Amino acid sequence: MQAFQMDLEKFEKLDAQVVGISTDSIATHEKFSKEYDLTFPLVSDGDGSLKRLYGRGRVTYLIDKKGIIRFIQEGVPENRTLLEKLRKLQNGKQ
Amino acid sequence: MKHSIMFIMITAFFVTPSITLALNVNDKAPQFEAESTEGTISLQNYLGQNYVVLAFYYADFTPV
Repeated sequence: MQAFQMDLEKFEKLDAQVVGISTDSIATHEKFSKEYDLTFPLVSDGDGSLKRLYGRGRVTYLIDKKGIIRFIQEGVPENRTLLEKLRKLQNGKQ
Repeated sequence: MKHSIMFIMITAFFVTPSITLALNVNDKAPQFEAESTEGTISLQNYLGQNYVVLAFYYADFTPV
């Protein structure tokens, strides 16, 4: 999540809202956000229902403005790839 | 022969949904509303104005 914060301005310039999700409690998320100065929301998926809804483990979804999944990145998120996909989406190339 | 093809087709129809449950590119992202560090957020609220980078991760205070 710290890596997202480092590139947050780039994501925001491309109209992207970053949202982190884990099963940690809100209290833990708040401590974590404060410690690393995270300025994007962290969702508490305490009962794992969102994880089940989206059906995978460590994964990042890129969702367009119409709510359609346009890119799925499994494993550790790579900002460079995600930003590149966003640029392409904005330019209507993909 | 005809019966066995029918059987395979019927079986496939019932078995496939459970296999293809995982989301794919071009699928509609499932709607959700959840508690976050910035209050209750819902996917619906972002749509129309923002792309959403929805990042599932294991736990806070872990590397990466």
